[in-house]
Amino acid sequence: MYIRDTLTMAFRDVRVHRSRSLLTVLGIIIGVAAVVLMTGVGKSMEGVILGQINTLGPTSIAMWPGAKGPEGGALTMNTDFDAVTVRDIEALRQLESVTGVAPMILLGEPASYGREEAEATVVGSTPDLYGNQSVEVTSGRFHDASDEEGARPVAVIGPDIVEDLFPGLEPLGKRLEIGGRKFTVIGVLKAVGTQFFQNQDIRVIIPFSVAKAVKQRDYVDMATMRATGDIADGVADVEYLMRKRHGIVAPPSDPTKNDDFLVRTAEQAHDILGTVSLALTVFITMIASVSLVVGGIGIMNIMLVSVTERTREIGLRKALGAQQRDILLQFLVEAVVVTFLGALIGLALGVLLDFLIVLIVQNYLSTYHFGLNPGAMAVSLLMALGVGLGFGLYPARKAAALDPIAALRYE
Amino acid sequence: MTRPPLIQTVNLHKSYFNDDVETPVLHDINLAIGKGDFVAIMGPSGSGKSTLMHILGFLDRPTAGQYLFQGEPTEQMGEDTLARIRATRVSFVFQSFNLLPRTSVLENVMLPLLYHPAITVAERHERAVRAIETVGLLDRIDYLSHQLSGGQKQRAAIARSLVTEPEVIFADEPTGNLDSHSGIQVMEALQTLHREGHTIILVTHEAATAEHAQRIIQIHDGEVTADRSDFKRRVAGKGVALK
Repeated sequence: MYIRDTLTMAFRDVRVHRSRSLLTVLGIIIGVAAVVLMTGVGKSMEGVILGQINTLGPTSIAMWPGAKGPEGGALTMNTDFDAVTVRDIEALRQLESVTGVAPMILLGEPASYGREEAEATVVGSTPDLYGNQSVEVTSGRFHDASDEEGARPVAVIGPDIVEDLFPGLEPLGKRLEIGGRKFTVIGVLKAVGTQFFQNQDIRVIIPFSVAKAVKQRDYVDMATMRATGDIADGVADVEYLMRKRHGIVAPPSDPTKNDDFLVRTAEQAHDILGTVSLALTVFITMIASVSLVVGGIGIMNIMLVSVTERTREIGLRKALGAQQRDILLQFLVEAVVVTFLGALIGLALGVLLDFLIVLIVQNYLSTYHFGLNPGAMAVSLLMALGVGLGFGLYPARKAAALDPIAALRYE
Repeated sequence: MTRPPLIQTVNLHKSYFNDDVETPVLHDINLAIGKGDFVAIMGPSGSGKSTLMHILGFLDRPTAGQYLFQGEPTEQMGEDTLARIRATRVSFVFQSFNLLPRTSVLENVMLPLLYHPAITVAERHERAVRAIETVGLLDRIDYLSHQLSGGQKQRAAIARSLVTEPEVIFADEPTGNLDSHSGIQVMEALQTLHREGHTIILVTHEAATAEHAQRIIQIHDGEVTADRSDFKRRVAGKGVALK
């Protein structure tokens, strides 16, 4: 018998027994759809986070005070919190490999206007900040160098602050209060939503010189800057300068060992995200694979029923000259064909659901786009084939081993 | 040297074993059937006639004794060899037709060709059409099996048994599920095939059916009790070519 005959028979049988075939592979359909859907959503979420990282720009560099954590990643913010000073910032500004050095001081105070109070992230920074993060104003202006020099009490505020403090009012020119001091609103930021689990629309940006005077300190909480050329050169220069200024000596095998500051780039964030999302994809695929195996048991059950139902047909085929191998192949190919068709349906269903989720989520998260994970899709298809082959084998062997006379007499 | 008979058995025995309990079914069967013969194996149910047909048709094996097919001993043959012989040299017509459900006459008739090693895909269609023409079912070639009458079903089954051009056609109670009119049509078909040179072995419990053959081998309790050719042979229908 030719393999083409076997395939023709398998497709024919699946077509003739449409509803039974569908029931057979329901588990496979759900399993594959689950893999496609969940890894697709994962891909979309990855895109959202990547988008946020990319708003920082590929050349952006961030620096925090504090030693490197024991595993190399975590910050220990409670030691060396005063390690990065205003003079360090001035020295960094002399470097040619970085530009737009923007020191940041955080004021942990809410903002208020009259009786209204709003939760706010109050940041004192220089106008360089606006260039480092892609921010825009919808009305008014950013603060500028003259505001810095004059230490003017002005504020650029996020849209959520406007909503909380000035509902229905024109915010520009109003004087809001932070920690007992009055600030004149000169600009309103464009809404950007949540980035890195922080609502960016509750920001209040005031001149760095003012924040420094309010807090009466000469160290900063964070600094951002951009590399002018190769980002690695920028990072190396910043680290070299900081170690030199702080008198830090470390063995060449672990140059960051004694650092009291931490430098991170968007690229590193990319890498971390890549690792996390790969781990998630593998995890999701494994979970969904369990449903494929359960689906395989479904296939085996229905195939066994089908073998019993078709006992006479098997007897007839044997009487007409089919060898054991022919019968085995017939049922095995049928199991694989039905499983593969089920996997294709699952694939289509998963893509469709993924797409529907995009339509819904986009209303809330405009940066959420349709995403699929082709690797996971391929793996789930291959697994489905394997399941069809594995769980189809027992019923097929049972069919092949039937005695033709008994099978022909079977009622 | 004389040609050996097509089918020859020498002291053929068959027993079934159930939990080590032996149930003998056939004793000492010695038969010779020549090429082109039309033989009826007749006996009541439980006589062992079906078991004998299964052995002669390579669906079962004897417990002892010899079965020679065209002079070749068959006891050493493996499962696959027996399947090969069923595919190429013998064929069956069953009491309950055994057509594949929801399948056209053409596809049913082509079915044995799937397992025939020497017939190419290209030849299948033509051979099947020829076999269907022989039994007069060309106008029903695309009908599905459940759309046929009983007599038409059995004629389709006969076409299926012809399509591989076997040495022997075994017909196991071919009229058992048919009304008398359809039964006559089927017997007419078998007699026509015999006239055209086919070897036919008919298994039946009815004397009237058996009398369509040239020779009747009577089986009782697993033994041949009579083997005669001296009866008045019945001729089904007008005895002319099939429509």
